[in-house]
Amino acid sequence: MASLRRARRSIANVAFTGFCWIATAVAIAALALILWSLLRQGVGGLNLAVFTQSTPAPGSPGGLLNAIVGSIILCVLAMVLAVLVGVLAGTWLAEYGRDTAYAQAVRFVNDILLSAPSVLVGLFVYYILVAHVIGHFSAIAGSVALALIAVPIITRTTEDVLKLQPTSLRESGVALGTPHWVAIRKILWKSAGSGILTGGLLAFARISGETAPLLFTSLNNQFFSVSLTQPMASLPIVIFQFALSAYDDWVRLAWAGALITAAAVLAANILARVVTREPRRS
Amino acid sequence: MTAAIDDPALSRRSPPKGAALDPVFRYACFAAATALLASLTGVVVALAIGGWPAFAKFGFGFFTSTEWNPVTEQFGALGPIVGTLVSAVLALILSLPIAFGVAVFLVEFCPTLLRRPIGVAVELLAGVPSIVYGMWGLFVFAPFFAMHVQLPLMSAVPEGSIWEKLTQGVPNGANIFTASVILAIMILPYMAAVLRELLMTVPQQLRESGYGMGSTSLEVVMSVSLPYVRRSAVGAVMLGLGRALGETMAVTFIIGNSHNLPKSLFDSGSTIASTIANEFNEATGAMHTSALIALGLVLFMITFVVLALARALLGSETRA
Amino acid sequence: MNALNTDTFEHYASELPPEAVKLHVQNLDFFYGKNQALHGVSLPVVNKGVTAMIGPSGCGKSTLLRVLNRIYGLYPGQRAKGTVMLDGENILDRKVDVATLRSRVGMVFQKPTPFPMSIYDNVAFGVRLYEGLGRAEMDQRVEESLRKAALWDEVKDKLKSSGLGLSGGQQQRLCVARGIAVKPEVLLLDEPASALDPVSTAKLEETIVDLKKDYTIVIVTHNLQQATRVSDNTAFMFLGRLIEFAPTAELFSTPRAKRTADYIGGRFG
Repeated sequence: MASLRRARRSIANVAFTGFCWIATAVAIAALALILWSLLRQGVGGLNLAVFTQSTPAPGSPGGLLNAIVGSIILCVLAMVLAVLVGVLAGTWLAEYGRDTAYAQAVRFVNDILLSAPSVLVGLFVYYILVAHVIGHFSAIAGSVALALIAVPIITRTTEDVLKLQPTSLRESGVALGTPHWVAIRKILWKSAGSGILTGGLLAFARISGETAPLLFTSLNNQFFSVSLTQPMASLPIVIFQFALSAYDDWVRLAWAGALITAAAVLAANILARVVTREPRRS
Repeated sequence: MTAAIDDPALSRRSPPKGAALDPVFRYACFAAATALLASLTGVVVALAIGGWPAFAKFGFGFFTSTEWNPVTEQFGALGPIVGTLVSAVLALILSLPIAFGVAVFLVEFCPTLLRRPIGVAVELLAGVPSIVYGMWGLFVFAPFFAMHVQLPLMSAVPEGSIWEKLTQGVPNGANIFTASVILAIMILPYMAAVLRELLMTVPQQLRESGYGMGSTSLEVVMSVSLPYVRRSAVGAVMLGLGRALGETMAVTFIIGNSHNLPKSLFDSGSTIASTIANEFNEATGAMHTSALIALGLVLFMITFVVLALARALLGSETRA
Repeated sequence: MNALNTDTFEHYASELPPEAVKLHVQNLDFFYGKNQALHGVSLPVVNKGVTAMIGPSGCGKSTLLRVLNRIYGLYPGQRAKGTVMLDGENILDRKVDVATLRSRVGMVFQKPTPFPMSIYDNVAFGVRLYEGLGRAEMDQRVEESLRKAALWDEVKDKLKSSGLGLSGGQQQRLCVARGIAVKPEVLLLDEPASALDPVSTAKLEETIVDLKKDYTIVIVTHNLQQATRVSDNTAFMFLGRLIEFAPTAELFSTPRAKRTADYIGGRFG
């Protein structure tokens, strides 16, 4: 009887182990397949023109220059806004708000915004900036929408990394007679520097791949434009538009764009990991 | 007792450089934190105001009707709502076992050398933009599915059976099932990474005592590790669900965009997010726009509940 | 017998001329939220001498220390009631500028915490906030402080290197140098040697004995022998109350309260 039991247990275990191996293989295979398609189709569409010419009308040659530049402008502007608000908010949570009820409310809201559907963020910014304040689609609206997605990430990482600093570090700055904010700026931020940088890079990685929030804010722009008050082209939107079209050359550009976007996101993520691993510099 | 500030001894020293700006900085930080609160409130308020005309006009019928006619200005949200819930739940059902398997593999069975590379790969893949999944779904998966799954299945099922009902639909690969599959692949790396992290919090000693008693891996995982992280695991799953509910780009390409309730697994449908993404910029008239915004509010409510629940289960200490 | 022995305390204080008392704690209560951690503590701190505070964990000695430079003010929910006179003014008064107060009453913590910057910048940090010294004067101040902290010889060739690269004992002496660079009048030491090895501890104790010629020092310590080695007066605390206060030699040889005798004799703690 005991040996039957043992046999059953061991069969179950073998099945389970096999399942885990297979699951991992399936997962890796699926993801490898996707990356392979992306590489193959994307590289096929890559050429110098992609980086030097703007988006074309269907049937004519062209590239993605306006979309690439547009994405860079939108993301950089969004990051400036997001770092400003996010680092300050995270600092407030770690240094001033701490455990008060208000701080807990802010944390709760932050967590919701962190995982909230990005399309709704786009709708919100549309309502405020596009429908009312500015009156039309603009790059500013797009940046604000992206910033709203980036802020919770930066707030979270800033708070976490500041909380990791030893209490005595904070206190010894203040005990010297340093004004609280000078201690935060010159000691705590410096000490937490790489952590905050990681948060920024992760946020950047996230927003550079986002499409939905841009759909109703920065819209798209067929031509090369750097005006902040006008609609601006961006890689994800161009990919969206071109991929769903019926034109082969547009589809090819869409794949190239997808490859560039994925590469940028991957690079930012890898950089974030490298930064975290770097030992504390003097 | 003399007034301290007037007494020469204590004020013998002037305040340090930067002292005057201390309250300014504090208010700036407070303002930033309040801005967060304001944004979320703003989102709800904006969605409510924008969607109000639609709610006022259609009342409760908004939630029970599938009619979506911009011409006659009749809008009902049932189609997208059902589509959102079905695709997200289906995606979770499809991806959870595999994510779980990957997580357990990385913690229990993976050869040490491969552990780090695969772990890193899984985390990096969690960051691939959703539009990439969307494109892959549209150009690679959908045709494959239509050709190698739908067509054979449709010709193989016996007439009039339940299987026929389940598999009827246009064989173009753009349906609620394929959309769920793409969604599942999309949330897979994220779920695997989170579950793995959770399993790694199980103290080594606890696992070893399980093995030390002669338990098999299956038994250690099921009876020791999982119960230890059960609450957080459910929270993590809900977090994955929350993300699946709100996902736009991975789904829009491949769900078929029909406002009717899907009649079978292979019938086209829509989700709230995909509907908004597809129709917002071409919305015909104020009522159409309002109906879309109202849809947005519904989506927000659903995800809010799921995310709040997830947070309660996870405690407020997990990573993004 | 176990309660606050006012006779002893008053008796001692009345022998001290007012000029000899640098800090005078009078009837101090302290609260962490709703919990009262200090009950009516009164204590004179002698000018230019070392006062040690001893007692079992949780007795309130660190709490009391942290009132003396109002560092508890960083945390909402912690508050103090009573009077602490520094040279005749109450430092607990609302109108007092705490940053300036802390430049006069410095603190060294249990865990060495060098700032993430060079050794030179560490020592100069506080000075730069309060005084506009030229390069030469700052160099002098830095050297002076490092010498007093018995660290100069070990770091004089690497002033530009990071403070984080020093050993534990050196980091702690760096914190002492940093603290005295702003020329405070009082130095508060919160178990400064508890994280250090015996050799570093000995060096630190030497430094403290040396510093007391110029500074008023209050040291919290778990180590009874350390108290006997460095301090002039000792205060014994228990459960948030001051039980006994006397010159160190007297407290350790002839403690008046039974609880003091029990603690010193190792019967609890």
